[in-house]
Amino acid sequence: MMLYVKDISLSLGKIKILQGVSLEAAAGELCVIMGANGAGKSTLLKVIAGEYMQYQGSVMIGEKELKTLPVAAQARTRAVLSQQLTLNQPFTVTEVVSMGRYIYNAHLSATDKEIITYALKVMQIQNLRDRTYLTLSGGQKQRVQMARVLAQLLEAPDLQATDYTGRKMLLLDEPVTGMDILHQQLSLQLASTLAASGVLVVAVLHDFQLAAAYASRLLMLKDGRVYAQGTVEEIFTSAHIKNCFGVDVSVLEHPHCHYPLVVTAAAGGLFQSPAQKALKVM
Amino acid sequence: MNIANIKCVSSITILSVLLIIAILLATGTGAMHMSPLQVLAILLDKAGIHLPVAYEENMPGVLWMIRLPRVMLGALIGAGLGVAGASLQGLFRNPLADPGLIGISSGASMAAVVMIIVQNALPVFEQAPALNFYALNLAAFGGAIITTLFIFRIARTGGQAAISTMLLAGIAVRALCESVTGLMTYLANNEQLRSITFWSLGSLGGASWQTVSGVAPFIIIPLIMLPRLAPALNLLALGEREAMHSGVRVPRLKSLLVIFATMAVAAGVAVAGVIGFIGLIVPHIVRQFTGPDYRILIPGAALSGAVLLTVADLLCRTIVAPAELPVGIITAVLGAPFFLWLIIKEKRTILA
Repeated sequence: MMLYVKDISLSLGKIKILQGVSLEAAAGELCVIMGANGAGKSTLLKVIAGEYMQYQGSVMIGEKELKTLPVAAQARTRAVLSQQLTLNQPFTVTEVVSMGRYIYNAHLSATDKEIITYALKVMQIQNLRDRTYLTLSGGQKQRVQMARVLAQLLEAPDLQATDYTGRKMLLLDEPVTGMDILHQQLSLQLASTLAASGVLVVAVLHDFQLAAAYASRLLMLKDGRVYAQGTVEEIFTSAHIKNCFGVDVSVLEHPHCHYPLVVTAAAGGLFQSPAQKALKVM
Repeated sequence: MNIANIKCVSSITILSVLLIIAILLATGTGAMHMSPLQVLAILLDKAGIHLPVAYEENMPGVLWMIRLPRVMLGALIGAGLGVAGASLQGLFRNPLADPGLIGISSGASMAAVVMIIVQNALPVFEQAPALNFYALNLAAFGGAIITTLFIFRIARTGGQAAISTMLLAGIAVRALCESVTGLMTYLANNEQLRSITFWSLGSLGGASWQTVSGVAPFIIIPLIMLPRLAPALNLLALGEREAMHSGVRVPRLKSLLVIFATMAVAAGVAVAGVIGFIGLIVPHIVRQFTGPDYRILIPGAALSGAVLLTVADLLCRTIVAPAELPVGIITAVLGAPFFLWLIIKEKRTILA
């Protein structure tokens, strides 16, 4: 088991954010965490990312307890893409992506440079490589950060050549925020290619279609607890979604689509009722 | 990457050449004028290389005993202030951070001013003038270290120093230190007032080889150690969390930055008083040319700080010769308008 989260609880101030959350995920899985705003998705990811060391319970990465792992060892095993990055100094795109290699070499080797070039290429930002980060759009910035995280994760300038089973983990907190549809698909395809090479990917997503298309396992959180856990088919039911998000949805099958489609409309009323009625706005 | 390397090597080379020119000019200028070539000849004579340049017999004495220690002291202190400013701006992730900001300078000068007043009251000091001199330096150094540790302690929660708390604590401690300094000024007699003024405006007038060798280790250690922290400082620009995710031991990095910056600044304040603006301005100027990469910024700030203080000191002892202006006045007069210009320029690029 690559990641073994057992019964963790966390309070920030007096507010209980997580209560008895457990999660097991093996190498090569693409595990998606979903839930309403404030359900504790990001906090769970941050605990796994080593940001809150005051948690109760146990987080095992590989065979080791997270609290006993030094920062450098954590960074070699696990790359993290957080939300709301604030970089306010005019670094170039290449400089930002190069920062991902810090843990391996303070001065970049030839392999490091190849990996950086490769990460730029994968995220389709080679043409931005000398641009100042501050002049980029929100979606472009997100792609640069994704490339940086990729550069930290990879050991060779190729996605498939190396077997990362049991050695690498990638945490993504709403990775596609601000990206256009092409780059949303591209980013998640990248995540599932990495998973195929043995990387454990844990991602917080809001988009049902993306989650259904790419997740190999789903974790639905509600009020800091695990509401349901399982495959896409098991979790994506209109009852679960209604309970967690308070929205009437229909889960549809489509002959051209291998995953369920979630649309915002009550069952049976699909063609009569516009989407607003499902939400009971005002 | 190649472009960055070329930029790095060329800016460091240009700044080094500038520093050598500034040192030769500054050592040659004064009541007894020496041309840069003569200065070079005298210096190389010591190393056994004889240049075919004629100089007067008493020139080497003036150069070695009076000019050179002062210029060296200025270059060292300037370099120290430059690297301290650059590192603190990286630590606070704020280009307005400055050694004065977290109370280093004000703590040092408060302790020095208190010492000036106390010295007269205690008979021990009248009997030993050497003790007098060192007591003042030690007080300034101690004051700087204590205020920095105090602020760092306040900001420390759960093994981490919260940067915003640190800035706010710095402002409060600075106000407190300045009020004590003000009180001492009120209590002081005429002679003490002159010493206090010297301290709060800054001057390199007390330079000798003794002071240079006393200060050198405290500035050279940060000059060697801070560039090693540059790659981690780059990551800190992404945020403390991202730095941690990327493998930086953030609490350790922050402690080292504060310790080395304090060493460099406190050593300077101890012998030359408070010299403002260099720590703030120098990293800004360098950043305009090299970009934000701390691997170039820190050595660049060291060299530029040295050039700037050498030139400022040259100005302050020639403008009203044979009298002298406090060098802090020159750095403020040069620095403040430049800083305003930078802010206005930055505002324009944001709007454009």
